[in-house]
Amino acid sequence: MTAGRLKHVVCPFCGCLCDDIALEIKDGTIVRNENGCAISKSKFLNHTRDRMETPSVRIDGNLVPTTLEEAVKSAARILASAKRPLVYGLSSTENDAHREAYRIAEMLGGVVDNTSSVCHGPTVIGSQESGEIHGSLGEVRNRADFVVYWGANPQYAHPRHMSRFTRAAGLYNETREIVVVDIRRSVSAGAADRFMQIEPGFDLEVLGAMRAILRGHVLDVESVGGLSTSELYELVQRMKAASYGTLFFGLGLSQSRGKHHNVDAAIRLVQDLNRYTRWTMLPMRGHYNVTGANKTSTWQTGYPFAVDYSRSYPRYQPGEYTAIDLLRRDEVDAILNVAADPAAHFPGRLVRELGRIPIINLDPKQNMTSLVAAVNIPTAISGIETDGAASRMDGLPLYLKKCVEPPEGVKPDRDILRMILEEIGRSET
Amino acid sequence: MPEDLLLQNGCVYDPLNGVDGEIMDICLSDGEISESVSPGAKRIDLKGYVVMPGGVDLHSHIVGSKLGFGRAMCPEDHRDDPVLRTSKTRGGVGHTMPTSYVTGYRYSAMGYTTVIEPALPALKALSAWEELEDVPNLDTGMLPMFCNSMITFHYVREGDIAGLAAYIAWTLRSVGGLGVKAVNPGGNYAWAHGEDIHDLDIAVPHWGITPREITSGLCRAVELLGLPHPLHLHPVNLGRVGNIETTLQHLESLERIKGHNGRSCVAHLTHVSFESYDTVDENSDDWSDLSSGGLRLADYYNTNDHFSVDLGQITFGDATTMTADGPFEYYLYGLTKKKWTHIALDVELPGGAGVVPYVYREDSPGNSIQWAIPLEFALSIKDPWRCALSTDHPNAGPFTKYPLVISWLMSQKQRKKWLARVHPLASERSTLPDIEREWTLQEVAIATRAAPAKILGIQEAKGHLGPGADADIAVYQLEPMKSRIADSPDKLVRAFSRAYLTLQRGVVVSKKGRIRATPHGKVWSVSPSLSEQLWQRINGELEEMMGKWFAHSFHNYPVPERYRSHIEHKVMIDATRLDS
Repeated sequence: MTAGRLKHVVCPFCGCLCDDIALEIKDGTIVRNENGCAISKSKFLNHTRDRMETPSVRIDGNLVPTTLEEAVKSAARILASAKRPLVYGLSSTENDAHREAYRIAEMLGGVVDNTSSVCHGPTVIGSQESGEIHGSLGEVRNRADFVVYWGANPQYAHPRHMSRFTRAAGLYNETREIVVVDIRRSVSAGAADRFMQIEPGFDLEVLGAMRAILRGHVLDVESVGGLSTSELYELVQRMKAASYGTLFFGLGLSQSRGKHHNVDAAIRLVQDLNRYTRWTMLPMRGHYNVTGANKTSTWQTGYPFAVDYSRSYPRYQPGEYTAIDLLRRDEVDAILNVAADPAAHFPGRLVRELGRIPIINLDPKQNMTSLVAAVNIPTAISGIETDGAASRMDGLPLYLKKCVEPPEGVKPDRDILRMILEEIGRSET
Repeated sequence: MPEDLLLQNGCVYDPLNGVDGEIMDICLSDGEISESVSPGAKRIDLKGYVVMPGGVDLHSHIVGSKLGFGRAMCPEDHRDDPVLRTSKTRGGVGHTMPTSYVTGYRYSAMGYTTVIEPALPALKALSAWEELEDVPNLDTGMLPMFCNSMITFHYVREGDIAGLAAYIAWTLRSVGGLGVKAVNPGGNYAWAHGEDIHDLDIAVPHWGITPREITSGLCRAVELLGLPHPLHLHPVNLGRVGNIETTLQHLESLERIKGHNGRSCVAHLTHVSFESYDTVDENSDDWSDLSSGGLRLADYYNTNDHFSVDLGQITFGDATTMTADGPFEYYLYGLTKKKWTHIALDVELPGGAGVVPYVYREDSPGNSIQWAIPLEFALSIKDPWRCALSTDHPNAGPFTKYPLVISWLMSQKQRKKWLARVHPLASERSTLPDIEREWTLQEVAIATRAAPAKILGIQEAKGHLGPGADADIAVYQLEPMKSRIADSPDKLVRAFSRAYLTLQRGVVVSKKGRIRATPHGKVWSVSPSLSEQLWQRINGELEEMMGKWFAHSFHNYPVPERYRSHIEHKVMIDATRLDS
C-alpha cells in the first residue's frame, strides 16, 4: 500500500502478536501506528532506519558492497565447503523462511537451531519430561481469576500483555488477582496486586515446596528461598481456591539456576493443581515468531530446536546440537544466521569465536552480527514489508501483512534462502 | 500431465463398481481413470497382482496443533525410527508420530492416497494448511470442530439451527474444512469450568443446554446445509468402562434426524474401540470389570442404518494418545502417571486437547479386551459399507499397523495366534474366540477405500476405479486365485505393508514401498454458499461474538488464499435456500 489506512495489522515484535494495530500510510511510508505499544510504534515508524544498505562481502578484512547475486554466490560457496555448518536464528522471521532454512541444513548435512536454545529451550526440555499444560490468552482473559507471573517482566518485555490479557475484564472472572514472583521488584510487580520476592537461584526449591504443600505435606522449615512457609501456604491455598489460574513464566525461571528442572517443577505443580481446579501455564515467548520456529521445526524434523542433519536424518540433542554448545566446543566452521543477532546475545567468549567463523548474515538492519559477518544480505521485514505466518506465544497462528514495499531490490528471507539453496545445489552438481 | 498408462491383467477389486476380483485392464489418462488410452500408452503387466483403488483413510491425525505438541513432547518416540534423506525424499523420523514428509511417504508405501485429519481447531487452521504443504503424495482434508464453541452453544440455546448452519458454513469457507467434527460435545467446556460430564443430559455450565442438544443441533445443521460428510462424532464419556450405554444413547438421540437428499446416514461414530466398553458388573466402572461391548454395538448397527463407524483398532506397542477430549486425557494421565500435555484453545473458548503417550501391552487384561472390541464388532456386522478401517492414528497405534489389522480381520488363523499371545481375559470377556468369519479381500477393499470415500461424500473421485475417478491406485503382491490368503497372514501383512505400486493421480509415487515421486495432492474442502441475507447476518453476528469472546480479531480468522488456492479442491455446496 502507498497511501491509506490498514487495520487489524499484526505487530511483529513480541510473542503477544497484537493484531489490533491500525496504520496510516502516506507516500509509501508508515506515519502513524494506533493501538501499538511504544515498542510497536518504534518498530513500524522506524522500520526504514538503520537499514543494511546493500549486500556486502568481506574482502581482506573489510566489508565491500556487492550485488545480491554475488553475495548469494559467496554465501553458497562458504556453506558448501563447510564441514559443520550451523543454520541459526529464525525467530524473527515468518514460517516460510524456516522451511527453506531446514532444507539448506538438510542439504548441507549441518545443524539447524533457533533462538529458543538461548531462551525457552529449557521450557521445551521441561515439557519433554512432564508434558505441558498449555494455556491460551483468550481463555486467560475470559476465565482466569488468578494469574502468576514468575521470573517475567511483561510491562517491560511484552508491554500490552497485562492490559490485553490479564488486566482486561473477562467474561467469567469478576475479580482477578495478579501475583508477581521475582528476585527483584520489577515494573510489573508495581502493576500486580501482590509481589513475592524470592532469593536468586531458589525457584526450584520454592516450586518444590509449593507442590509438597499442595500434596498435604507439612514443611518443617520456617522459610524457603526467601519466602516464609506461612506465605507459601497461603499462596498455595489461594491458587487451589482459584476457579481458573494461569502461570506465566519468563527467562527468570527457564534460564536461572536449575533451568529445565525449574520448568519441570512448575509443570508438575500446575498438573497437580488440576486435581482441584483448572490451571494452565504459558512461557512468555520473546521474539514474535519463536513459537513458530519451534512449530515448523517440529513438523518438519520431529524436534523443536537443536537439530543435526549430519547423518542424513534429523537428530536432537540440546547441549550438543545447540548453537552455544557447538560454538563452545569449536565445532562450527560456518554460520548461516537468519533474523537473529548472535554477536549481541551470545556469551562474550563466544562472540570472540564468532569473529573467526565465516558468518552469512540475513537481516533487515545493521546489527552487531553484521559487523563481524563475512557476507551480509539485507532482507525485507516480515509483517511490514513482506507477508507470512507467525505464531503467538500461545500457539495461535496469525497472518502477517505486507504493509509497505521493501527498499528497492530487497527481498524476503525466504527468497534469499531459496537463492542460496539453488546456488548450493548447482555447486554440488 | 502424467502419461497415459494401461494397467493390464490385474485382479481388480473395485467394490463401488461391483467388481470383485476380476481380471481386467485399467486405463489411465490425464491423471484420471479413462475408458481408453492412446495407442502408444505405456503398459504395465500386473498378472499375479491385486489392483484396488488407492486407500482412503477418513480418520488419522496427520497435522495440527496437538500432533505438534505430541511430537515436541516426545523426542524419545522418534529416536527409534530415523528416516534418511534420499535424492527424491526428505529425511525425517517415523514411529508413532512421523514428520510431515514421512507421513506422506509411509502412506504411499502402503497404497494409500487420501487421508483426512479429523480434528482441526478452526482457529489454528492457518498452521495446519502450512503443515499440509509439507505432506506429499496424499490428497487430504480437515474436519474443524464445533463441539465446545460458545458460538455453537449460543445458536443451540436460541434454537436457531439456520444460524448454527450459517456459522458452520462461514467457518468451513474461512478455514477450508471438509466437514463437521464434534468431540465430547459440551464436555470440554464443562471441564474448563471444573465440571466433568459423562452423561448426555447434564447441562453445560452457564448455558443450560446438554450434550444431547448440542449433538443433535450440529447434526441437524449439517443436514440442513447438505454437507457431503455427516456429523463426525466422538461421543461423551469416551474411554470409560461401561460407556457402551452412553454411546448407544448418543446414537439413539440421532435416530430420528432426517438426512438430506434422503440419505439414511446422519452421523459417523468414530473409533468404536474407545466407546464400546461394557462391564461385567453394571454398578462398576472399574477397569478390572471391563468387557467387550463390540457385539452390542454390532447388534445396534445391524438394526439401525443412520450411522457409519470407523474402528480405531487397538494395536499393541507404542502409541500416542491425542484428542480434543482434554478431560479424557487428564483421566488417562491419572492412569499412566507419565506425562500429560493439555492445550487450551480460545476458539471454542474452553476447548482443549490433550496428549498422553501410551503403550498397549499384550499382557494387560484391559488392553487385550480393548483389542478384541473392534474386531468383535467388525466381524459381527452385516453391512460393510458403513464401516471404515482406522487405528485413530496415533491413538490406538500408528497407521503403519493397518496391514496387521487387515490380517486380524481376514485370517482366523492369525486371530487364534494373537488370542494365544494376549491376556486370556480377551477370550473370556469377548466373543472373539468363537467368531469364524474372515473378511474377504472385497470387504477389505470396502473398509479401506470404497466405504470411507462414500462416508466422506467424495466417492465420485475417490475410492473407485470407474472412468472419471482420480487415478489413485494401489497394486498389491497377492494372488487370491492361487491360494487362500487367510492361510498366510505373514505374507498378507507384507503385501499390504509395501504396495507393489501406488499411483497418485496417474503418477507412480511408490514402487515396492520405495518412493519414486513426491507430487503434492489436493486438500479437499467444502464451500457452502448462503443467501446474501444470511451471509450478511452471520458475518455481523460472528464479528460481534468473536469480538467479545476471542483474544484476536475476527478479521484475522480466515486462512488467506495464499496458503490455500494452489492446493485446495473446493466442493461447492448450494445452501442458498436456507432462510435467515
